[in-house]
Amino acid sequence: MPLEFARSELLTFGVELELMVLNTRDYDLTRGAGDILPRLAKMKLPGEVKPEITESMIEINSSVNHRYDELLRELQTVRNAIVDTAERLNLAVAGGGSHPFHKWHERRIYPTERFRRVSSLYGYLAKQFTVFGQHVHVGVTSGDDAVYLTHRLAAFIPHFIALSAASPYFQGEETSFETSRLHAVSSFPLSGHMPPLETWAEFNGYFDEMKGYGIVESMKDFYWDIRPKPEYGTVEVRIFDTALNVERAAELAAYVQTLSAHLLRVRVTEPILPMYRVYGYNRFQACRFGFEATLVDPYTREQRRLGDDLLATLERVAPDAEAMGTRAAMSALARAARASDNGSAWLRARYNETHSLNDMVRMQAELWAGAVTKP
Amino acid sequence: MSASFLPSLPFELSYPLLFGVLLVSGMLGGEIARALRLPRMIGYAVVGFVFGPLASAMGLGPLIDEARIFVDLAMGLVLFDLGRRMDLKWMRRDWSLLATGLAESLLTFIAVFMTLEALDFRPVLCGLAAAIAMTTSPAVVLLMVHDTRSEGQVTERALNLTALNGLLASMIVTIMLGSAHYESRMSIEAAVLHPLYLFLGSLILGASMAWAARVIARAIEREREVHFSLLAGLVVAAVGLATLLKLPVILALLSFGLFARNDERGYALLNVNVAPIGRLLYIVLFVITGASLPAEALHVALWGGLALAGARALGKMAGALIVAPLGGLRVRQAVGLGLALMPMSSVTLLLQHDIARLYPPFGASLSAMFLAAIIVMEVAGPLAVQLGLRLAGETLPEGEATMSGSERAA
Repeated sequence: MPLEFARSELLTFGVELELMVLNTRDYDLTRGAGDILPRLAKMKLPGEVKPEITESMIEINSSVNHRYDELLRELQTVRNAIVDTAERLNLAVAGGGSHPFHKWHERRIYPTERFRRVSSLYGYLAKQFTVFGQHVHVGVTSGDDAVYLTHRLAAFIPHFIALSAASPYFQGEETSFETSRLHAVSSFPLSGHMPPLETWAEFNGYFDEMKGYGIVESMKDFYWDIRPKPEYGTVEVRIFDTALNVERAAELAAYVQTLSAHLLRVRVTEPILPMYRVYGYNRFQACRFGFEATLVDPYTREQRRLGDDLLATLERVAPDAEAMGTRAAMSALARAARASDNGSAWLRARYNETHSLNDMVRMQAELWAGAVTKP
Repeated sequence: MSASFLPSLPFELSYPLLFGVLLVSGMLGGEIARALRLPRMIGYAVVGFVFGPLASAMGLGPLIDEARIFVDLAMGLVLFDLGRRMDLKWMRRDWSLLATGLAESLLTFIAVFMTLEALDFRPVLCGLAAAIAMTTSPAVVLLMVHDTRSEGQVTERALNLTALNGLLASMIVTIMLGSAHYESRMSIEAAVLHPLYLFLGSLILGASMAWAARVIARAIEREREVHFSLLAGLVVAAVGLATLLKLPVILALLSFGLFARNDERGYALLNVNVAPIGRLLYIVLFVITGASLPAEALHVALWGGLALAGARALGKMAGALIVAPLGGLRVRQAVGLGLALMPMSSVTLLLQHDIARLYPPFGASLSAMFLAAIIVMEVAGPLAVQLGLRLAGETLPEGEATMSGSERAA
């Protein structure tokens, strides 16, 4: 049976944010989802707050939004409710792509059927997958557009990585990477990018084939950086580390929305294959060096600094930003690109100040709570 | 041929040898308990029960006194750790936590007071005893939390309430000692000044130790091991100073921990775990506590002891069940919390000793009842905590603890 692509309203968008649940003693991950979620369920909040695979993780699902400023307000409302609830339980919540010093074998799997199954299939990977990402959904009106956008947004993956990177420390070590979270993702089969299929019909053929092999059951089994989400009628970008605050999270979502508007307007026609040949290299560069990465343009064969490429792109999409109402978000991202400022830079600065990962995570939680503001 | 380099007979047992034997047998007792799926500390205490009469039969009574320094050190670290776990900010944010603590303490006090009054003890004695009974054993709760790798609301709340009831009990005991002094026709100065000295002195001592820790911490490298040595050293010193100044060790060390943790601006002190050397000290603590509990108490005062322990358990459980759900805890969690507050061990014993020393009329019969209750709770307490934490779903599921070889770093 072919996958039905649910049409959704063009360029509406929403985010999923996975968050860390921490104790306030040493700021290690702790089990708290089971206490936070029932309390939140009693409040009237937009969207949804859900459990994730381990008990030290919760996930915000925003509602479907039209505009950046609405999304930002909604995320702030939900953030405040979560912070408030957590405080009463003597827990803290923070953004960031991975916890800098937790021990993965101490994590407990959240007791639902699906999570237990995933845990028994992937073994230690499931617990090591205690990393925290942001997903952005953008609505499209057809499966063909979803396939088109999935490919064309892939060219901007390095930007997404550099802007969102917030996991320089992992298992107590400085990784020297801007994001260490993406390593955990790459261990899964079916990670990476979608194969170079051009239409929804072709995609359906591919899906049926994989299903025929017994490799996948649903779209959930693809861990691609970007994938079509037929049930929602969206394209889902999954590459981001969870930002350190909701403001940056909303800006990142706005960037995806603006780029999508641009790509659907100008309709890029260059062949896909060369782009995927440099994909892995560019992606690695961004993970390792952030704004200082060297990107290869497969069409011009030029090498460019990621930060400069990002600024040029922001300029190119300015008319679309105007139309989508995301100008404020785009200027904030341009400022970040000029200052080479992302979550990892902020975290490294805090660590150099305090020489303690515990203190760094404490400040990370304060930043998330909105108690301190980024300079 | 007289080989003077050979030891002469009969052998004289030395303390290092005895401590070694004591530690190893305590550890083995713990592992046997573990194999029987019982909490380890039950094994430690049972070894102590056996060791006590054996030692005195062999004329080794003073061993217990000789080990006093280790016990004080262990207690010091336990209390300091507990004080550091107490979070005043949390109590301000969630009124139900403080309310649960006050309720379980008050109801325990009332239940024990009424029980003892029904047994015809004088009101002053009933009051003192009821105050002592409010305490939960921090050593048992902390070690159970560590051994079962418990995490969650019940765990954190139980630790905070244990600190709180320890503080409340030592404060009330201190104040009541004043009125007891007054009743026994001592001067008014003794009645007012002595408790005041004990109370303020402990607070000032705790605060100054925390201040000293912070000052030194700022001057040295922010490294775990360095900070650990600093804290361990200061804890030992604090125990020594408290003894020197005739201040209650419990209050002084709790306040040291409290001031060290609730440091709003500085964050100068790293939050290091005292657990690594904790195991050794815990074994000493439980074995010696067990050894110093005279089994005769069970003959003399079993029923009285059971009545006391029962009334106390009732008060604690009622307090947890009535108030904790108001703060959003599920009933299972509230029951778990009540159970986690049950243990009664060395702190209670210490308080009881202190009072019997400071206020001789406390009397043999009441002491015997306490000792009997403590003996019962040495076994029942850890079981209650284990059950409580499991009921709340906060222990590491059995079988997942396979990789638990590494101590938590933080």
